[in-house]
Amino acid sequence: MIVVNLDVMMAKRKISAGELAEKIGITPANLSILKNNKAKAIRFSTLEAICRVLDCQPGDILEYVEEKEEGEGKDE
Amino acid sequence: MWNPAKSVILSSICTKIAIGLVIIAAIAMPKLVSSYVMYTGKNTEVIQSLLLTIYACAVPGLVSLFCLDKLLANIRRGEVFIEKNIKLLRALSWCSFAVSVILFISGFYYILFVVIAICAAFLGLILRVIKNVFEQALIIKEENDFTI
Repeated sequence: MIVVNLDVMMAKRKISAGELAEKIGITPANLSILKNNKAKAIRFSTLEAICRVLDCQPGDILEYVEEKEEGEGKDE
Repeated sequence: MWNPAKSVILSSICTKIAIGLVIIAAIAMPKLVSSYVMYTGKNTEVIQSLLLTIYACAVPGLVSLFCLDKLLANIRRGEVFIEKNIKLLRALSWCSFAVSVILFISGFYYILFVVIAICAAFLGLILRVIKNVFEQALIIKEENDFTI
């Protein structure tokens, strides 16, 4: 699965969610969806705006993580 | 100026009127059926069967109308492609099939009911297809809503 590491980059650039949402032209609710990995897809235009504002590369925000099998990772 | 919002309001009013008419008709049905049988000169023994068929159909009919009313209320709120509406469309479809079965059975004593049964079954099928379309539309809407 693709994980959005927006929090890390935002912390590095010391930018708040509200400010970032305003600068990239999306609503704070949509930014929250993106941050919480609830998004199903991201537009190139949004990705471009994020990279421009945070001065980073798409790879700094997006990461591929192998999905765990069902039942794996449980303490029981 | 006529617009979709006014159209939904008109549909909602028509549905409410239909609910009222069905309830009034259900109350007056014994008299109406008796008058019909007298007028057409049919055997009075058919009155009980006719009433049974009509009341059996009135139940899914009223359920359908209430489902339609809820569906229109959701549309008025701007909630079109939602899980609730799919359930309502499914209920509408099953109500049509239920009416179709009742009328098909009633066709054994009054053949004309079979024709209406076929129409009801066809309507149920159409509603089922619309429900399928709504299901796909909901998936597309969710995909779109979560595309940032």
